[in-house]
Amino acid sequence: MTSEEIVKKVKIDQGEAIHSSEVNLGDSVLFVGAERIHDIAEYLKNDPDLNFDYLSNITGADYLNEEREPRFEVVYELHSIEKNHSIRIRVGLDEEDPTIPTVSDLWKGAHYPERELFDMFGFNVEGHSNLSRLIMPEDWEGNPLRKDYPLTIEDVTFSHNREFKQDLVKSKPPTR
Amino acid sequence: MTVTEQGLLEREKDSMTLNMGPQHPSTHGVFRVVLEMDGELVDSAEPHIGFLHTGIEKTSEAKRYVHVIPMTDRLDYLSPLGNNLAFCLTVEKLLQTDVPERAKFLRVIMCELARIASHLVWLATHALDIGAMTVFLYCWREREMILDLNEEISGVRMMTSYIRLGGVAQDSTPGWLQSVRNFIEYFPAKIDEYERLLTHNPIWLDRTQNIGVMSREEAINWSMSGPVLRASGVNWDLRKQRPYSGYENFEFEVPTGKNGDIYDRYLVRVAELRQSREIVKQALKKLPTGPYKVDDNKISLPNRKTLKSSMEALIHHFKLVSEGVSVPKGETYVPVEGPRGEVGFYIISDGSNVPSRVKLRAPSFMAIPGMCKMMEGCFIADVVGIIGSIDIVMGEVDR
Repeated sequence: MTSEEIVKKVKIDQGEAIHSSEVNLGDSVLFVGAERIHDIAEYLKNDPDLNFDYLSNITGADYLNEEREPRFEVVYELHSIEKNHSIRIRVGLDEEDPTIPTVSDLWKGAHYPERELFDMFGFNVEGHSNLSRLIMPEDWEGNPLRKDYPLTIEDVTFSHNREFKQDLVKSKPPTR
Repeated sequence: MTVTEQGLLEREKDSMTLNMGPQHPSTHGVFRVVLEMDGELVDSAEPHIGFLHTGIEKTSEAKRYVHVIPMTDRLDYLSPLGNNLAFCLTVEKLLQTDVPERAKFLRVIMCELARIASHLVWLATHALDIGAMTVFLYCWREREMILDLNEEISGVRMMTSYIRLGGVAQDSTPGWLQSVRNFIEYFPAKIDEYERLLTHNPIWLDRTQNIGVMSREEAINWSMSGPVLRASGVNWDLRKQRPYSGYENFEFEVPTGKNGDIYDRYLVRVAELRQSREIVKQALKKLPTGPYKVDDNKISLPNRKTLKSSMEALIHHFKLVSEGVSVPKGETYVPVEGPRGEVGFYIISDGSNVPSRVKLRAPSFMAIPGMCKMMEGCFIADVVGIIGSIDIVMGEVDR
């Protein structure tokens, strides 16, 4: 199916569950709320015409600098091996309560990227079997890929640069 | 019977926790796995990663697009060109620019040579893990030739950063093309040599057949990709399914396996060596003339010769070097077929010259949970075989 056909079909079948949809640079994109993502994922996987059996990727994103609502986003990339088409699902997450249900019951490959979301962005992935630090050490504080996490300074035993770090947190990213 | 004796009898099994890595030579980098052993058998395997975390994704958020390219080299350091290509294709898609035909062909030649080099390192170390020392030396010998070719065209042996936004770093010379031609004429006999040592070797067969089996459905569900997925019988190669960078111009086969065991992965990769050679051969034959990078001076530097005569070229040069490429606001993802599977960058641009988010979809990272699933129920001696057959590169796992 072409991207337009996929978007059209999903709109007809799941119209009330998706916020909006578009074809962006040739890719079909759905915008879904966190509360409905599991239903939509299940539908996309099991629908015989769509058959998205392969989870390619799950990504987090932080739109702090763009000052838009909601601040966070989780992006799913799905392929269908059989039908050879793809779809992207974008799920907005609130800053206060970044919680999203797991899809690792549908695609086992989601285990690691979802743990990475928890580790790098601090998202709470509900229903995940082992939600713990993945790449950073277990006793690490903070979520490195959030935009308010300082880029150049990490906590070390010195105290003379603590003020500098505070400044960095407040300001926009360093020199471009 | 005393209480202690009773306790010993009641204990269900005598399990032992065995730590493997991160400094184990057969974990191919700094991969650590904690094995719960029941005698010689592995009960469960728990992976631990992050020892090579360098924060490349975070660092990218403060670098201009051009400066991210050298960092992508260091992700999958055995095949840097595949990462370069994935990154450049994604940014070019956001810029909505199309690179010239000659650049596409040069990219394909370099990527396929990188695939051969990467598979040679895999075969060398995988065979060494299982105990075939000679193959290691042979593969290294041929890889050296590819590194020499890299050096000849880009000046660097491994981290070439040869693929740039809008094209490649520099044009190929007739001498280099002849060197590549010589290599691909020389190479098939060497693949036969490796195969003579391994394919029908009874020890090799015993150590690889029916071990680390992953069914077609499991492989898809665990998000395995590349040769591992194909060895399980899934005909999925992004070069065929979603042709990029001119792969639709080449005729090649996608080798697949049946059983999804270590041996099938070996066969698939060795067949890929031959197919990659075939693609390079066709690309050399069809290599078109013309520019090797786009003519748009907002993306690629103007010709050096024009700088002294053209004011506009000088301004463009200055702007591009001091400011870099500004990418329109948006986000996209372009997957390419690297030696280990689907490599893709998800890039979010906020309209400036610095990416707002760069995410690498790394095939090794996605394969690790599935790999540890394979280890369950196998012998301890087969763990190194399974790790080797997945061909993980920790640079892209930990990023």
